[in-house]
Amino acid sequence: MTFRPGSIPELSEVISASAARAQPLRISGRGTWLHGGAPVSADAAPLHLDAFGGIIEYEPGDLTITVGAATTIAELDAVTAAHNQWCPLSPWGGNAGSVGATIATATAGPYAHALGLPRDHVLGLEIVDGTGKVLRPGGKVVKNVAGFDLVRLMTGAWGTLGAITRVSLRLRARPVVDETWAVEVDAMRAIDAGGTLRRCNTPPLACAFVPDGLRTSFGLGEHAHLVVRIAGNAGYVSAARAAVAALGRAHTIDAGIWTALREAAPVPAVRVPMAAGVRSLNARVRSAFDPANILNPGIMG
Amino acid sequence: MSLEDSLRAIVGERHVLVRPAELIVYESDGLPGYHRRPSMAVFPADAGEALQVVRALAQHGTPFVPRGAGTGLSGGALADGTVLLGLQRMRRILEIDPVRRTARVEPGVVNATLTKAASPFGLHYAPDPSSQTACTLGGNLAENAGGPHCLKYGVTLNHVVGAVVALPDGEVVTLGDPHGEGEAAGYDLIGAFVGSEGCFGVAIELTVKLTPNPERIVTLLADFTSINDAAVSTSAIIAEGILPAALEMMDQATIGAVESSIYAAGYPTDAAAVLLVEVDGAAAGLDDDVQAVDRICRAHGARDVRIATEPAARARLWQGRKKAFGAMGRIAPHLVVQDAVVPRTKLPALLAQIAVIGEKHRVKVCNVFHAGDGNLHPNIPYDAGNADESARVHAAMQEIMLACIDAGGTITGEHGVGLDKLAYMDQLFSPDTLDAMCRLRDVFDPNRRANPGKVVPVRYCREWRPPASRQMTDDRRPMTEAPADGVERTAYSVQLQDKAKP
Repeated sequence: MTFRPGSIPELSEVISASAARAQPLRISGRGTWLHGGAPVSADAAPLHLDAFGGIIEYEPGDLTITVGAATTIAELDAVTAAHNQWCPLSPWGGNAGSVGATIATATAGPYAHALGLPRDHVLGLEIVDGTGKVLRPGGKVVKNVAGFDLVRLMTGAWGTLGAITRVSLRLRARPVVDETWAVEVDAMRAIDAGGTLRRCNTPPLACAFVPDGLRTSFGLGEHAHLVVRIAGNAGYVSAARAAVAALGRAHTIDAGIWTALREAAPVPAVRVPMAAGVRSLNARVRSAFDPANILNPGIMG
Repeated sequence: MSLEDSLRAIVGERHVLVRPAELIVYESDGLPGYHRRPSMAVFPADAGEALQVVRALAQHGTPFVPRGAGTGLSGGALADGTVLLGLQRMRRILEIDPVRRTARVEPGVVNATLTKAASPFGLHYAPDPSSQTACTLGGNLAENAGGPHCLKYGVTLNHVVGAVVALPDGEVVTLGDPHGEGEAAGYDLIGAFVGSEGCFGVAIELTVKLTPNPERIVTLLADFTSINDAAVSTSAIIAEGILPAALEMMDQATIGAVESSIYAAGYPTDAAAVLLVEVDGAAAGLDDDVQAVDRICRAHGARDVRIATEPAARARLWQGRKKAFGAMGRIAPHLVVQDAVVPRTKLPALLAQIAVIGEKHRVKVCNVFHAGDGNLHPNIPYDAGNADESARVHAAMQEIMLACIDAGGTITGEHGVGLDKLAYMDQLFSPDTLDAMCRLRDVFDPNRRANPGKVVPVRYCREWRPPASRQMTDDRRPMTEAPADGVERTAYSVQLQDKAKP
């Protein structure tokens, strides 16, 4: 059995009927979802959300956008780039996945250190919870403390509290100057070098170690390299360039390496195990929003 | 043992107040106009005492309201015949870790005190509410407080790493990842807890991020003869890709109040509006941004742009902004403070609409706000003793709030819902969404004893009702007026009393 609802009322009906029959569902946007701690249980019926795509509202002057959850990261990037803007979600895994899955899994990317995690970019959501109710917490403005924060709760919940159908995001203007540099480093001291850069007066937008597999395709030979993205106005980038050069021999490189890095390196975060009290809170949250335990069962452990 | 005796045994005789003459101090918060008297107030000295107090309250099934410095602007820290749990004695900074750039603090530490303590390490605590010299970090966490510099640096949510929380039933949980070991497993409960306005429990220890001090800071004051030009300049600066540390606007009424007060900052009193813009960060490239802001403001009609680089000159420009609410006290004894947010491009239209609404109701609206975020603070000074004026002020505020909601905005950007904005919650959220918020609250506090009657109108926590009509009925009017005896309960809290007894 496979579900592919075409509208919110249909999705709501699928979920509430499944809850009544205790039929587990496996939520799927673009089908690129990374696995969490554990796979969804085998008897779950796929629930495809690909109908909920597209740009819903984009006012470039507000630096905010509302998209259907099935919109891919690639589409989000293209639409915002046309207005010289971007959303720093850019998750590990690449551009084929959906915005909804990025939020549901709270998958960060190379720009998280400088610009924040997915929870810092989401302004509002539309979600159908495990009882079939349609919730619209948050909003589309950049500052909002109205009511309890269901947006943060649903971000990173791996679809176990509801199916995300719509996402409002904060955007940024693209920097005037944006350069990517590859710098030769001693492999043993690469982490120190990255730390030094992040703590200097002109920290980079991103900094990553280039894995073996990518070195040849980007012409980096055998030597260990850090790849560093520096962005800002001309004066800032000029000073940041000097900080990069101070680490070792450096040259500019195709910015496409960032997409390659994201596609090549899904980096799982170290997960701190839960203490008993927190585990009990988690179980209560789960039963408050998905009392029949049908949404992606098993995935959150 | 009675609750009072139990509490005295925990915190000592001196730190439990029961006499009306002592409790009257705690009847209001930073928003004059609301008065609710607690039945008792208790002030623990440390996390251990705070936890014992929460447990004693749980044993007696008594509702309570956590409170920091009482500087909130939503009536959120008022205890209506319930126990007030004051946390301002818990003011120790437990640890500053300059390498990880975090601080571990008790909830009663004053916001600016942490910044002062972090300054030897070249660090500061970034969220800076205007009350930062008085408000506490625990209160900031409860309200998800903002401030002028949140435009660039983010609000409290973005700066709280973890918290040790006493749940209302007396259990202790550590939320988030205070030790920086990696991503916490499970749901983002610290994200849900920040901004829960004291309804989910009491943070008895907080771990917050510290931010490196910028290498250089420049403050600009742009002077406009039209409020519309100032609003358009705001959008133009952001559209250019400049992210100022702060971008604040003050209108003529606010400038007048500030300049005639002891906080006079040298603002041009004949200006229709001023923009206070701060750019900070690396010295390299900063002047490019300063010149760009100067150019954009002049191109959009600024008469003059003053540039301050020296700390004393910058502090003077900021003084007027930070003390603007206080300065409004010169105009009238009471003040209605609002906190709506609108999409930035809607600012010019909204400011024009606010002016029309103010004229229609013959009230003086003072706008002083975070223009860069679209976070409006239309404030109206008035005399609560004048019934006719009070009615006009509230009618005007209601129209302004509905206009902001219609523009796609929200009812509060940083002050919280508390009591003050309860009446607008169902203009913003569907009954199902409000019900879901109550479900989340019940996860933390199934008996609803923590800060009862705040944030979500009680009717949504109890039963579904069809969406109300657009026109607010009398019982949904925001109750900013204190009844004559100062202790009459709102409809919300009366309904809650029966739920509060488990």
